Amino acid sequence: MATTIAVVEDDADQRDTYVDVLMANGYAVNAYADKSSAQLAFRTTLPDLAILDIMLGQDMDGGFDLCMELRNQSQTVPVIFITARDSDVDRISSQRMMAWDYITKPVSLEFLVARVHALLSIATHLQSPELNATVLTINELEIDENSMSIRWQGQRLNFTLTEFQIVESLARRPGHVKTYDALIDVTRQGLVEKNTINGYIRRIRSKFREIDTGFNHIQTVHGTGYKWAQD
Amino acid sequence: MGPGLTSPTRPPSSLPSPELQRTPSYAPHADRQRSRQRPALRIRTKLLLLILALLTIPWMGYKSVREMESFLLEGQRQALELTAEGIASLLSGRQDLFSGLVGVPEVVGLAYHPIPTELKESLPFEASGTQWAELLGPLADYTGSGSYECGTEFSPESFWVRHAVGISDEYFYALFDVVDDIVIYRDPDRLKLDHSDQVRLTLESPGQSPDRYLLLSRKKEGRMSMYSMEPDWRTPLTGDSLTIVAAEFKREKTGYTVRIRIPEDFIGKSARLFFEVIDVDDQMSREIRTKISTSPVGSEHVGQVHLTTPKLAELIRPLHLRAANITIWDKEYRVRAQLGSIFPEGYKPAAADRPDMALLDQVSALTLDVMDWLLRIPATDDLDSVTALNRLDEPLLQHSMREGKSVSELRRHGGAKVIAAAQPIWAEDKIIGSVLIKQSGNRVATIKHATLSRFVILFLSVFLFLAIAIGVFATRLTYRVTRLQRETEQATTTDGRLLQDYIRSGTRAGDELGNLTRSISSMLQNLGQYTRYLEKLPDTLAHEMNNPLNVVASSLDYLEYQHRNLVDDKYLNRARSGIFRLRTILTSLTEAANLKEALRNEQSDEERFNLVELVTGCVDGYQLSNPSRAFLNHVPTSPALIHGTPDRIAQLLDKLIDNAVQFGRERSAIIVRVNELPNIIQLSVINDGPSLPKELSERVFDPMVSSSTDARHSHLGLGLYIVREIAEFHGATVTAKDRGDANGVEVTVSFPK
Repeated sequence: MATTIAVVEDDADQRDTYVDVLMANGYAVNAYADKSSAQLAFRTTLPDLAILDIMLGQDMDGGFDLCMELRNQSQTVPVIFITARDSDVDRISSQRMMAWDYITKPVSLEFLVARVHALLSIATHLQSPELNATVLTINELEIDENSMSIRWQGQRLNFTLTEFQIVESLARRPGHVKTYDALIDVTRQGLVEKNTINGYIRRIRSKFREIDTGFNHIQTVHGTGYKWAQD
Repeated sequence: MGPGLTSPTRPPSSLPSPELQRTPSYAPHADRQRSRQRPALRIRTKLLLLILALLTIPWMGYKSVREMESFLLEGQRQALELTAEGIASLLSGRQDLFSGLVGVPEVVGLAYHPIPTELKESLPFEASGTQWAELLGPLADYTGSGSYECGTEFSPESFWVRHAVGISDEYFYALFDVVDDIVIYRDPDRLKLDHSDQVRLTLESPGQSPDRYLLLSRKKEGRMSMYSMEPDWRTPLTGDSLTIVAAEFKREKTGYTVRIRIPEDFIGKSARLFFEVIDVDDQMSREIRTKISTSPVGSEHVGQVHLTTPKLAELIRPLHLRAANITIWDKEYRVRAQLGSIFPEGYKPAAADRPDMALLDQVSALTLDVMDWLLRIPATDDLDSVTALNRLDEPLLQHSMREGKSVSELRRHGGAKVIAAAQPIWAEDKIIGSVLIKQSGNRVATIKHATLSRFVILFLSVFLFLAIAIGVFATRLTYRVTRLQRETEQATTTDGRLLQDYIRSGTRAGDELGNLTRSISSMLQNLGQYTRYLEKLPDTLAHEMNNPLNVVASSLDYLEYQHRNLVDDKYLNRARSGIFRLRTILTSLTEAANLKEALRNEQSDEERFNLVELVTGCVDGYQLSNPSRAFLNHVPTSPALIHGTPDRIAQLLDKLIDNAVQFGRERSAIIVRVNELPNIIQLSVINDGPSLPKELSERVFDPMVSSSTDARHSHLGLGLYIVREIAEFHGATVTAKDRGDANGVEVTVSFPK
């Protein structure tokens, strides 16, 4: 059975494009234009992955409501928000609902497909963890590249895909400065301001500090970028 | 595709200063703040001035008390006139009481009242001084009363006068017993007569200049010569000696005696007389050493002669009047009887000077004096000088007797008031005398004083209470108005930006000021909502544009995906570059719009960090990404610590550098400078290039203001707006000005330490 992806997008043009490109990549796609029809469908069948717009017609937070509903039914189904809303508040909300990724419009289709692949593979790994997982260990940091999960001092950190990629790229070469440009490439989003990177780093640091208040391994190199500092 | 669309740029000339058109134009009012303050009286001062108007109340009170006083005095005057009239009618027709024959004369110095002894028969002039003394009665000390003119070396042993006076049917007798250590007789060689011991006699009839007579002796014993004298007492009017007055001089062991007999006719019916005894002690210089007079004021003033009629005195005795002096005069202006004193009972003259008092007492006494002066307290001391007012009696009497009717007047002397009323006494159709009543008006004045002092205390309390009440009210009002003004001014910046959309204090008051405060507060709230709407507008717009942009972008992606041969298509790439530019615009709009909220969320990330280190790091980064420009890093060697979010300061610096790179001259150097001053740390970015356009210099930090006309780059004018937002969030101020040393612009952010 083909992997099923649910697309909830109120704009018909965008919805059709997503459907076309995902179907072209071999996925089964169910598209919904509004919250109620999606809710109805999710009650009978859960998708393997959901791509949600936050604003659905007049419903300002329709995407969030759908995400909550999916979480109630499954803790593990990957959810990607694709939205025109680019604010910290919305990013933080999406994380609280354990959405796996938050992509701002306009989105590159190539990038979208890559994300969908990555997330589905993580989901598969989570369901049947391989014993010989490739784990990268730097200091107290453990990076499982298959399940794309990160542990600090043995505790699992809840990172989005982008955050995982940033931490991984920093930790892979400890002591080396990752410039803003390099980090923008890592996020694989078309146009990212330095400040967006700063925002990612801020959120990553705060997640580390929830576990370890003294965490200070990600260091700022003013005007240039960031680096992973080894002890 | 039309040729117009093939060109990615539109000619700049078609858009004359598009930025100015884009922005709603308004002139910043830098001088608005100044024009609010105008020199004028403050509310508190005005109200306090208004209190001064209350001072008319005591003025009115004072006026009415004065009116009451004159009303009372008028009543008293009329009462006195009535009394005088009563006494006059009682005495009318009693010529017997006013006969010159029944009177008992008195020589009256003002402080000296010897009553002549009435003699049954004439005194033999030849009798010795001892015999005279026996007949005239006890000798009165002359020295203890009257006035002296003498040097400081005077001693009573050197000069001492006792005397006695008597009167018979024909003659007036006077005996002077003089103690004098050196007796100087008249020197016949001298023409002037003021060179020896002598007795001077002054006679004054009403309405005439006084007659002066000099009595002096040439030898130890014998008749004295008598001359009529000039007023200077030096030269006689005539050389002839007068004989009408008999005077005998006799040298005694301790001095000399003088016996004088004056015919009554010589004195005249209404004349006053007084004596002076002159002492000269130096044989050579013969200067007058001492003068003893019966008049307390010296020779200028003449005492009175009383011609007392004991029966008359008996008659008026029951007519006692409180604090009043009743005198009965005959038509020759001699006092025939008197009763009562003008001084209130129990009156004692106050001590002339105050003994040593403690300073505090002196101060309080001084305060009382000022108070008394203000209130015109009738000073009891002044009653002494009432005596001097006796001189005024005569014109009043003359007036009364000449007119033949009642005359009264109110006399003021200092604070003292005396009411005098004269009423002629008739016998048939002739005026035989006059009644004069003088009464102190001080009783009324005392009532006035008591009223005034009660009034003053009452008024002062009311005035003080009102002044304090209005003062407190005015202070409170001024404070509230000032507070409202301050908060209103703080709510907006001088260039019209809204900093605060409410008034914190004074909104609960129920009065008009409270209403005004609430109106301003709600006005600010409305303004705040509108401002927020305007601030949100770019974000909303960006969001709305992102969706169709996404359709275009994903469609292009899909086109490429479907048609691999289009991968490097020129037009596809051009469309992508258009999308990229649109995204750039939308991203910067969103960034600016969300900045405020983002900054608030990051407040917890603030730390104290070294600006020098951050600037050094950033400048290295800029140099790497902009190899064509030279970045000069002018920073101090010591760390400059500021408080804030390093990422945001880096963002601020990014924007400043972007601005400098964009507007600076090609290939010119950009200077980044950190300057540590006593209270602030300055971060400046300086570039070569064109100056700031004049019309923009005030507004370069406002959103959507840019001087760029290059359409190939998007210049929304948000960079410097972001700079200002970040700077203000860190409590810093930011200014842009032309470079002083060369063409170019210098933007300075001043952080507090």
